[in-house]
Amino acid sequence: MIRSLRWWLIGIAVMCVLPLFAPVGVTRLLVMASYLAIFAMSWDMMSGYTGYISFGHPFLIGLAAYVSAFLSHQGGFQPPHLVLPLYATIPLGVAAAVGGGMLFFLPSMRVRGPYFSLISLAFMEVLHRLIIAVYPEFTGGDRGLPRIPAVVMGAVPNYYLALGLMFATAIGLWYVGRSNVGTILKAIRMDEDVVESRGISTYRFKRFAFLLSAVTAGIGGVFFTHYLQSINPRRAFSAVFLLDIIISAAIGGMGTIVGPMFGGYFLTFILEYLRPYLFGQWRLLVYALVGIFVVIYRPRGFYGIAQDIGNWFRGRMRGVEQYGKVT
Amino acid sequence: MAKLLEVKGLTKTFGGLVAVNNLSFHMEEGETIGLMGPNGSGKTTVFNLIMGDFKQDSGEIFFEGKEISKYPTHQRVKMGIARTYQVPRPFHEMTVMEDIQISTIPDDLIKCVRGGKEYGEEVRKIGESVGLKERLSMYPYELTMGDLRRLELGRAIATNPKMVLLDEIFAGLTVAEIAEISGLIKKKTKEGENFIIVSHDLRALAPLVDRVVVIHFGEFIAEGHYEEIISNEKVKEAYFGY
Repeated sequence: MIRSLRWWLIGIAVMCVLPLFAPVGVTRLLVMASYLAIFAMSWDMMSGYTGYISFGHPFLIGLAAYVSAFLSHQGGFQPPHLVLPLYATIPLGVAAAVGGGMLFFLPSMRVRGPYFSLISLAFMEVLHRLIIAVYPEFTGGDRGLPRIPAVVMGAVPNYYLALGLMFATAIGLWYVGRSNVGTILKAIRMDEDVVESRGISTYRFKRFAFLLSAVTAGIGGVFFTHYLQSINPRRAFSAVFLLDIIISAAIGGMGTIVGPMFGGYFLTFILEYLRPYLFGQWRLLVYALVGIFVVIYRPRGFYGIAQDIGNWFRGRMRGVEQYGKVT
Repeated sequence: MAKLLEVKGLTKTFGGLVAVNNLSFHMEEGETIGLMGPNGSGKTTVFNLIMGDFKQDSGEIFFEGKEISKYPTHQRVKMGIARTYQVPRPFHEMTVMEDIQISTIPDDLIKCVRGGKEYGEEVRKIGESVGLKERLSMYPYELTMGDLRRLELGRAIATNPKMVLLDEIFAGLTVAEIAEISGLIKKKTKEGENFIIVSHDLRALAPLVDRVVVIHFGEFIAEGHYEEIISNEKVKEAYFGY
């Protein structure tokens, strides 16, 4: 445990000094990457561990973001007495994600098969349509909400805020993932009936994973929208955003927490640096190519590659200890 | 002796197919019984109903005098019922040790979050007791069918059951492996474990069971000692058609 935490501390230290060397543009990119990492870890806690694939994560993120944005918004869409300070709207946004998720997603986790995926996808679209079509005078309709107050201003303070949130959620989820809860959740992914037949209430563990996932998605969604200072339903509930999250988790290594965190950074930077070479939506080809590559050749993602390299290196070192040379 | 398990008028249909039809039988404490019947006679369905994997259409299941139909599978396991599967279902990404450990993890979130992945001495002992001492760190793809059956048995026993349902425990095993698994079951029976064994291998089954219940098309057709059963006309007709 202490040894593993040492790697976290090294990671935090390295990330903390990055803004001293990185230009503002890169720092802003790092902020975006940190939030994508939070969303990917949130998705991983539920789908990567349990195998219940969520296609509706933007529902949780969007709901939290909209609640906090709406309640803290000063654009005149709602009566002035409803404008609340951020320290009140942020927890309310997170609570909305948890409550909404519990109400609409969780019941479908009781049944096996693709129902959870389909229901989560359906509710994401339902929320999208509701925001656009119902009470657009409150939600800003298709245009969304502009001029949302920021938690902190400037690239560097936002970077440290995003970094702090990312590491806090990452270490929390990682701790749970490496406990017996993680073992049970992975076993559920492999064969849920067998886990149940060992005296474990699988629904209780799935519910816990979902709760953690929803809290993480809510935290990420709320702070991300306050960072952007606006929210747009077409982006918040888009398939591209959903794919960003899932592909980040997949290329990082599902069911590992650390992998999806790296995946978030990798995807953000590769898409950005491909901008001069692949215009507009052509960049999205990267999703297909990366997705196919990972599924076929490296289903355990970057995390699996790192593990293999580590095992190989340790094997060679053992060889050196035993035989005095590398053969 | 008190009844450990009692099944009364159990019926289960799948669409138009009657898999189990008004079946009743019981098992007493300290007893090991065999559940026999030709292919498709509903033996595994009976196990699934006892475990709560399926919900019966009608009938009652009593365990230690308590009606258990309303309880989900994990609650029934906590009461003391465990099972093995006809086709072994190991966790493919887990070692033997990790697999058995799942049975010993408490069904309690707080304890689970606090608990690390250290394998208790208990897990090691269970692994060794079913003959997997040398294979504790192996993955399922490295195991023979005999070892997979041992793993099934080990992880069932690790739930600390009062009664274990063994589904085709001898299927796919060599003669030597059958002898080893039989020895293991005998040993566990002496230690106080109760088994219901489903098997097509009647010669392997015979020395292990006190009594046999035979079903055909989901219906009870005979019950008694093994020697009586194999000479029973109804059983012969069910198995051989004459």
